[in-house]
Amino acid sequence: MFLALKEIRHEKLRYGLIVGMIVLVSYLVFVLSGLAYGLAQQNTQAISSWQASKIVLNADANNSLSQSLIAKSTADRVTLTSHEADIGQAGVVAKAKGQAKLSAQFLGINRGQFIYRRVKTTSGHKPLNAHQIMVDDSFKTNGYRLGDRVTLNSTATTYRIVGFTHNAKLSVAPVIYGTLGTWRTLSHVTTDFQASGIVTDRTDFKPQVAGLSTLTIPQFINKLPGYSAQNTTFTFMIGFLMIIAMVVIAVFLYILTMQKLPNYAVLRAQGIPARVLVTTTISQALLLVVCGLALGAVLTLGTVLALPAGVPMSFNLPLLAGVTGGILLTGVVGALIPVKVILNVDPVSVIGG
Amino acid sequence: MAVLEVKHVTKTFGHASNEVTVLTDVNFTAAAGEVSLVIGPSGSGKSTFLTIAGGIQTPTAGDVVVQGRDLNHLSGKERDALRLNRVGFILQAYNLVPYLTVADQFALVDRVKPQGNLSADELRRLLDHLGISQLVDQYPAELSGGQTQRVAIARALYQNPDIILADEPTAALDSERVKVVGQLLHDLAKAHNKAIVVVTHDLRLRAYADQTYAIMDGRMAVA
Repeated sequence: MFLALKEIRHEKLRYGLIVGMIVLVSYLVFVLSGLAYGLAQQNTQAISSWQASKIVLNADANNSLSQSLIAKSTADRVTLTSHEADIGQAGVVAKAKGQAKLSAQFLGINRGQFIYRRVKTTSGHKPLNAHQIMVDDSFKTNGYRLGDRVTLNSTATTYRIVGFTHNAKLSVAPVIYGTLGTWRTLSHVTTDFQASGIVTDRTDFKPQVAGLSTLTIPQFINKLPGYSAQNTTFTFMIGFLMIIAMVVIAVFLYILTMQKLPNYAVLRAQGIPARVLVTTTISQALLLVVCGLALGAVLTLGTVLALPAGVPMSFNLPLLAGVTGGILLTGVVGALIPVKVILNVDPVSVIGG
Repeated sequence: MAVLEVKHVTKTFGHASNEVTVLTDVNFTAAAGEVSLVIGPSGSGKSTFLTIAGGIQTPTAGDVVVQGRDLNHLSGKERDALRLNRVGFILQAYNLVPYLTVADQFALVDRVKPQGNLSADELRRLLDHLGISQLVDQYPAELSGGQTQRVAIARALYQNPDIILADEPTAALDSERVKVVGQLLHDLAKAHNKAIVVVTHDLRLRAYADQTYAIMDGRMAVA
């Protein structure tokens, strides 16, 4: 580490540029990962907040909650417990006087069932009757306030916002929680229909009723329109970026080491063990990558703070740890590539004959 | 007492029609307490001889025995340890690490070899003697050729080796400095019982040598 630190201190510009390059690469990877995760979250936040295990849909709905309708006669054949909850989904456009229109997903839920209990309010309270709604916080950032009267689609009925809830997004749209009765109105269906689907937090729930299909929540999420395609795209983008970053960082560190070979040859001639030189090279690479990652993280944090609230960026620890570990590994691999050259460096090359 | 023996050493490079013999049946002995001078023109094989004597290169034929140990029988690690602990090199060029100050050049030795080096007092006296004590915070790029050479000499002596192999140690020095370095090497041999081997084409160093060899076209003889 002695040689590594001394060299960095002496060659500030050279090492500054390398750290700068690592900062930019890590910043790009962090931001892209954040956007990918944020967007994925906006597809599924509402579902995650239910803490459910499975969902039951109409077998002909192609695994889509918005296209599913479960008739009351069918639902009656399913034995429901306190672990199951009906849910009705309808795409809506919300409008309040003096506010911009907002596209949203209306979710009708039953007051006596577990989803209602698990959804948390950030202000106000949960809807208590058919004319009350609880909306995602993004309504607030768009100017909507508690007590605002909102119309949904072209219906004449107004609904009063009585509560806000955090991170309630479904298919990248803010969620409006209301009653199943309101859902029926918005979906233009009668009381012959129970809901769009039945959600359960039991892992062993699988009603054997004709016309119904049961999916696990991960299966259901993967079937959300566009979700898999979007995630696959981002995964490939980040994957390719990581590979390119790995090659670029490895090449930089390789060139750096090759430039130092004459110095290493002198040190080898003086009997400095190859182990010391290899340790120096690897510790220096790690130091540069750690500094680059730390600065990249600070830059990312600054970006997160500066971005408007509407930009879907969020982070989760395992993902960040994976990305960070990948870049660190890249640095070590880059430093390890020239180890054989260091081990075989010929002191005679600097002494001549 | 002989501490370095080169016995019937031949060194060739290349193969078949490209084969070049740089050293032919070289015999050499360096004793503790003596300065041995190897004089020859450029391309005569001086530096190759020095690298083989110090275990950096292996001979094509023949043996090199350092303090009773045949280098042909040592592993790479053992030869590294021998150079670090027993043999000090004063190289012709690039012999200082460019990103270390003069003081750090010695600190590096301390880190790799914590024991057996000169004490702080001995180092200060050595630097004073070589006229470079004011340069401890300078980087090699800030030194003149002569200053660099003297720091390299101090760097090699700092390890307190039993054998010092010097490749043109006075190449960049004026006559006054040649006297200082020549006398220093002579004093080290006499006062500290070191074996000093100097390869050079600087005949001014003959005055400080106990024995002189001449090398020409890879063949060595007592001059």
